[in-house]
Amino acid sequence: MSQQLTQTSNKDQFRKVKDKVAKYGVTAGGLLVLAALLMIFFYLLYVVKPIFDDVDVEHHQSIALNEPLNTLSIGVDEHLETAYRFTKDSKLEFYDLHTNLGAKIFEHAFDFQSEVTSFAQSAPHLNLYAYGFENGQVQVVKPSFRITFPNDVRKITPTYRMPLGDAPLELSEEGDAITQLAFSISEETTGFIFTNDSGELFYKQLLAEENFMTDEIEWVGETVAIEQIKGNIQQLHISPDLSRAFAIQGTLLSVIDIRDIDEIEILYQINVTDFNTQITASALLSGANSILIANNEGTISQWFEINGKNGREFVKARSFKSEEASVNAIYPELYRKTFFTTGAKGQFGVHYTTSEATLFTDSLTEGSITHLAVAPRANAVFLQADNKLQLFHVENEHPEVTWSALWQEVWYEGYPEPDYIWQSTSASDDFESKFSLVPIAFGTIKAAFYAMLFSVPIALAAAIYTAYFMPSPVRKVVKPTIEIMEALPTVILGFLAGLWLAPIIEDNLPGIVIMLMVLPVSIILVAFAIHNLPKAISNKIPEGLDSIILIPVVLFVGWACFAVSAPIETLFFNGDMRLYITDELGIDFDQRNSFVVGIAMGFAVIPTIFSITEDAVFSVPKHLSQGSLALGASQWQTLVRVVLLTASPGIFSAIMMGLGRAVGETMIVLMATGNTPIMDWSIFQGMRTLSANIAVEMPESEVGSTHYRILFLAAFVLFVFTFIFNTAAEFVRQRLREKYSSL
Amino acid sequence: MISVAPDIAKVTNAIDPSELTPELTALEMKNLSLHYGSKQALYNIDMKIPKGKVTAFIGPSGCGKSTLLRCINRMNDLVDICRVDGAIELEGKNIYDKDVDVASLRQNVGMVFQRPNPFPKSIYENVVYGLRIQGNNDKRILDETVEKSLRKAALWDEVKDRLHDSAFGLSGGQQQRLVIARAIAIEPKVLLLDEPTSALDPISTLTIEELINDLKEAYTVVIVTHNMQQAARVSNYAAFMFMGELIEYSDTNKLFTAPSIKKTEDYITGRYG
Repeated sequence: MSQQLTQTSNKDQFRKVKDKVAKYGVTAGGLLVLAALLMIFFYLLYVVKPIFDDVDVEHHQSIALNEPLNTLSIGVDEHLETAYRFTKDSKLEFYDLHTNLGAKIFEHAFDFQSEVTSFAQSAPHLNLYAYGFENGQVQVVKPSFRITFPNDVRKITPTYRMPLGDAPLELSEEGDAITQLAFSISEETTGFIFTNDSGELFYKQLLAEENFMTDEIEWVGETVAIEQIKGNIQQLHISPDLSRAFAIQGTLLSVIDIRDIDEIEILYQINVTDFNTQITASALLSGANSILIANNEGTISQWFEINGKNGREFVKARSFKSEEASVNAIYPELYRKTFFTTGAKGQFGVHYTTSEATLFTDSLTEGSITHLAVAPRANAVFLQADNKLQLFHVENEHPEVTWSALWQEVWYEGYPEPDYIWQSTSASDDFESKFSLVPIAFGTIKAAFYAMLFSVPIALAAAIYTAYFMPSPVRKVVKPTIEIMEALPTVILGFLAGLWLAPIIEDNLPGIVIMLMVLPVSIILVAFAIHNLPKAISNKIPEGLDSIILIPVVLFVGWACFAVSAPIETLFFNGDMRLYITDELGIDFDQRNSFVVGIAMGFAVIPTIFSITEDAVFSVPKHLSQGSLALGASQWQTLVRVVLLTASPGIFSAIMMGLGRAVGETMIVLMATGNTPIMDWSIFQGMRTLSANIAVEMPESEVGSTHYRILFLAAFVLFVFTFIFNTAAEFVRQRLREKYSSL
Repeated sequence: MISVAPDIAKVTNAIDPSELTPELTALEMKNLSLHYGSKQALYNIDMKIPKGKVTAFIGPSGCGKSTLLRCINRMNDLVDICRVDGAIELEGKNIYDKDVDVASLRQNVGMVFQRPNPFPKSIYENVVYGLRIQGNNDKRILDETVEKSLRKAALWDEVKDRLHDSAFGLSGGQQQRLVIARAIAIEPKVLLLDEPTSALDPISTLTIEELINDLKEAYTVVIVTHNMQQAARVSNYAAFMFMGELIEYSDTNKLFTAPSIKKTEDYITGRYG
């Protein structure tokens, strides 16, 4: 006997192995699922994290200068290979940053006929410089780089061009010296705004005209004096599209409309800083819709034009308090809304306007930064300080995103007030992406809300009827039929909703509204009538088929509602209800609206809710309902007081599963809404949801861009949404189960 | 084995059930037949159930004793394919008449099931359930009823400090007594017990049996059991059923000691397994 107990046969061995394999296999499977979930979670975080990274500024190299005070302006090319410097003695010097560290590789001395009295730089992305002369002439210069490939090696040869011709252009007709100058070139037009030595302000517009004999380009133009603004102009700016000019005198900013040379108009004259302060620097932000004004107290304010309540206004949108006591200069980035500030003690600040964030402040150099140029790709700044030209690498990939910009109202340029806006791309080049997650999170909740509004009553009622009242042979047919609806691809539902249902609803709006009210009432009335039929008749109806009587009723009511739709429209809504609610009630109507989504997504959600609720109600033990009935309770009382109470954990989780599905659903909302990221609870308006937003925009977003990472952030938010929903649901369900679980 | 001897004094004075006067009769079944679809489950049953006594239905599984019990409060109505012919008169009124309201019938004929089935509510709410569905929400009346019913069901002392705890915290025997308290809270005339102790341990069974003995003072009790000792211990009258027919019905002592029909004798002597 003892031998029998200790001996193991081959069969037992095999069984043990199978047990072990099964045990470890199941454990490994479970762990893998958890690991996969965690990996998704961390991958999302990994992609999202860089948008919240701090700005990193790192010294790269220095070039010692012999005559540091001689600098007029400096710049750097987009590959950070060559730097250049304009000097006060009319020279243009190039330095090699790439191979031969810091060597001066090219120098050109301009041979100007007249004395230089002013120097101006265009908007940084144009990379143009202009000398103004004592004789009223101007010369525009552009540093340029010729790339050749001798022996298959890329070689950059620095040079310069004169984009407006080699000969200086005449600005001042009287030949007065040019003391202040701002200019820009937009397609075939060049505009100069300048002051002469008597403090008078002029605008000169030049148009390119092709000489049809010689094919040479000639610049023809006229000069207009802007007489309203006089004396002591400290700074001049001109927008790159030649629509606005800005002049600063003391604390006063004048905004001038220069679009039409014959009708130059002063649009606004505003004090842009307190009277006891001084404007120390100003600059146009990239895109040139805003002007940045810095004062000697270190406050930088952003101003732009809006379409306000009282017509067009020029307003201060926001201000930054810089740590620098006084801001020396402001340098905007070329294409984004970042700007850099320099202070008297070498402080260097990086700010982003729309997110209202100061991204970086530190003293990079010991002495003050006298000149600075932002690299075209915004990956470096090139500056002069401590008698040296220095290159700093700047890592600032995603300045526009901060947690508050994602979730709070942001005042974008040109918008009348701060708002939540999602607008990631546009046809325009100087467009600023607007990444507020609020409208799309709102859209998600709105779509789920309308879907639940439609589906929960229907699914619950159907499930309760099927589980509790329906004869079991009919139930055996009905339940799988409804569950099969779940297998319907949502793309088909979305397609039907968008292309078939939406136009029908639009055309028969009064009928649909009437149907929504009449259909439930008529179903209840018919059910009541069947219930109260004389026994003689009701006994002849086969068991369980009484509900089939509803089919012709539903068809008839549906048809009748559509039939009365047009007459009602004519009678009450002047023939078109859609126009009526838009014009008379002031409610916008989208063809693909929340109503359509509610129905289509509700249709997708119904099987989920139905199936789980039906199971929950059906699995309430019969002895509980019988116990209630035996106490003299009616079927209804038993249902409400015992059955639903006992089934409540299941019903709750059914609704939460439905909600989870509605929140994550993509195809239906993608196809059946207009995908407009607006915030409006109106049932006649569309929305854009997190999931649809990802589906729409992911294919067109550049990998690694801010947009791309924000879409991942949207996915992460969706993930967290569902995670929180499910966790809360599971928690509540467990509590309910503890309380109401039957024996 | 716990054993309660039948009350000899009562049994010897017992009247034969067929000779019960209308005043002493709680229920009378007249030519009662029942079909489940085409299958007949009860055959022409005639019997009188005495008022204020405990009547036990015994018989092998599937003999129709539970079906007969369920006819008394029309629980069989819930089975769609069930058809009842004949009559059951409760105090002279046929409960299968068309003008009878099933809900009020069931308020007069309470029922306790095989498995304890408290609702997923507190002890208090379980007891007052029958009152609440009648629309009685007067706190004072409800409180009184709870104490009275729980005392009658011999549960008060055990639960008076946790009336608002979930009923699921009680043991099986306590739950069954709670269900009895729930049934008597609405003051029924008749109490039907469908194998009330079959899911319970012997100690709980004994408590319930003692409770049944007390309950007959106020209610007519009908009990279905397949435990013959239990029938012998708790009942005054016993009916033996077999294959849907009422074979023998007499006072308990006589049925168990001197059955007049061979089938009865075979069953009580254990020849039916």
